[in-house]
Amino acid sequence: MSLIIHPRPSPIAAAMYMMRDLNVDVIVIHGPSGCCFGPARLLEKDGVKIFTTALSDREFIFGGERRLIEVLKKIDAIFNPKLIGVVGSCASMIIGENLKKAAEEAGVIEKALCCNIHSGYGDNTSGAIEVLKEASNIGLITKEEYERQKKLLEMASILERTRGTARQEYIGNYAGDNPDEVAREILKVLKEGGNIICVLNAKKETAFVYADIMLALAQTSVKFLANIDPNIGLPRIREYSKEILRELKEKGIEISLITGGLDEYPISGERAKEILLEERPDLAIIAGIPHAVAVEGKIRTIAVSAGTRASYNLKSIGYDFVINEENAHRASLGNRRIQKSILGESIRRILKE
Amino acid sequence: MKSIAIYGKGGIGKSTLASNIAAFLGTKGLKILLVGCDPKVDSAINIIGHRITPLLELMKIQSRPPSESFIFRKGEIHCVEIGGPEPGIGCAGRGLIVGINYLLENLNVKDFDFIIFDVPADIVCGGLAIVAKEGYAEGVLIVTSDEFTSLYAANNICRGLFSLKVPSCGIVYNKATSNGLKFVRKFAEKVELPIIGHVPRSDGFINAERMRTTLIEILPNSEVTNAIISLSLNLLKSDFRKIPKWLSMEEMEGIFSENS
Ligand SMILES: Nc1ncnc2c1ncn2[C@@H]1O[C@H](COP(=O)(O)OP(=O)(O)OP(=O)(O)O)[C@@H](O)[C@H]1O
Ligand SMILES: [Mg+2]
Repeated sequence: MSLIIHPRPSPIAAAMYMMRDLNVDVIVIHGPSGCCFGPARLLEKDGVKIFTTALSDREFIFGGERRLIEVLKKIDAIFNPKLIGVVGSCASMIIGENLKKAAEEAGVIEKALCCNIHSGYGDNTSGAIEVLKEASNIGLITKEEYERQKKLLEMASILERTRGTARQEYIGNYAGDNPDEVAREILKVLKEGGNIICVLNAKKETAFVYADIMLALAQTSVKFLANIDPNIGLPRIREYSKEILRELKEKGIEISLITGGLDEYPISGERAKEILLEERPDLAIIAGIPHAVAVEGKIRTIAVSAGTRASYNLKSIGYDFVINEENAHRASLGNRRIQKSILGESIRRILKE
Repeated sequence: MKSIAIYGKGGIGKSTLASNIAAFLGTKGLKILLVGCDPKVDSAINIIGHRITPLLELMKIQSRPPSESFIFRKGEIHCVEIGGPEPGIGCAGRGLIVGINYLLENLNVKDFDFIIFDVPADIVCGGLAIVAKEGYAEGVLIVTSDEFTSLYAANNICRGLFSLKVPSCGIVYNKATSNGLKFVRKFAEKVELPIIGHVPRSDGFINAERMRTTLIEILPNSEVTNAIISLSLNLLKSDFRKIPKWLSMEEMEGIFSENS
């Protein structure tokens, strides 16, 4: 694998998100105060309390386990959490800090989920896998659930390396196509009697934003596929699917086929691809992780994803239109209702015209 | 101003030589700075007579300690111990980087005639190599005995200096015996460095240590003291600096075989 020189997501952040999915009440980052600041703020929006041991050169030199013990004791006393996540950082892992030993000394080992992770650990999914491994060790999830998710996360990493933003040494940035023009294109196809399939192939909570495209297309002939199986994944993730299904039902939307669970986007993407190639719609709208649905060049596609680097990548591998839902992740955190999306809003606007 | 850093296998006599060289040059009216870089804080003990408070210990409490608090003097010899974590925790390498940087920010090295950095054993990580790597010392003095493991460590240091492109000012043959010189000489030739001092094995060092002083003070008229004087004067006078070569394992074995 060649060296990738653009910034990549951090295994520490992936570990923290996985801890959130396991319903930890608090997470302690054993590292400098600026470490994972961005993801920490997002997770706080989602209701997880995040703490840092705020290590500095003094602790790098003399060790920081004392500090971790103090912080754990303080959090336990003030917030009385049921489950505490503890993640490492580059600094604390390089100097060989022992997270579990500190949790034991702080008297919280029974409710601690410790993960010896740092930012140089490899693919970001390795952070999530480490958390799951520890969760299965301490009996929080079953061995089978661990194996199932591990396989999916490994598939996700392969997908990133072959078709995602890890596929090249450098991938640039693209702001995405004009959403109003893309919405016009959708409505033009419908007006001419063409058929459209809209695929939701999203990762976890981001489905709360991407599902809005289905709401916007409720009164049309568009057919829907979605990876929102309410019987797959961790309880929290199943809850997301249930909420979305309930809201779609309220609005009278029927899903033609459930392609998998919200943590299954690498395999649900394969299923969606098979169906698209069989049904050959005139246009496919693929939202969430579009590059998991490899139909570009065979079917006219609108890829909807988040971020300028993802948009650049999707455009360059050949999706015809690319929408950058730049706030998809931020907007999806901290609520359990479908949120307005950029493309959804454009469709609503153009429908009114 | 001249400066050297002393490297060599653990226990080979770096701190002993550093304090004896400092003690001798101090008597010549030169302003000396001895910087102990070992977390075990044992470089200055035989000059000052007791363990001195290391810089990092002060920085832990007070982020910018004044230089009077960490420079300890005996006549013209100024001693600083950088210090570091307790064994088994934290990062000594990071400690050395932070400590040395603070030290060099807070004292004018040009005020001194001779600076000696006494460095912990081998160059095992980037942090511990800082003195050599950043050019804080103009040359590295390599200490070795005639034992295989000591020469092996010396070769490893040469390898480090070679890849970091750091010059050495030569080799000191310590704990010298009458029949070991040929091995050290062969090694020195192959790495292309001169032997600039021979310090014989002597129980005087251990006696001096027990009294928390240097050998040259308790045995001023001995052969060993003369050896230290000659080594110190060599260091003072010579401008020799060269990036050493290093030997493969086979070449190292060859040093001890009779017919090479
Ligand atoms: N020439 C010598 N003859 C006899 N004993 C010696 C000689 N040189 C050093 N020693 C003794 O060897 C021991 C180790 O010396 P010293 O502490 O100076 O080594 P060092 O290289 O600084 O060790 P470290 O790597 O642990 O810092 C001491 O007890 C010292 O007295
Ligand atoms: Mg020493």
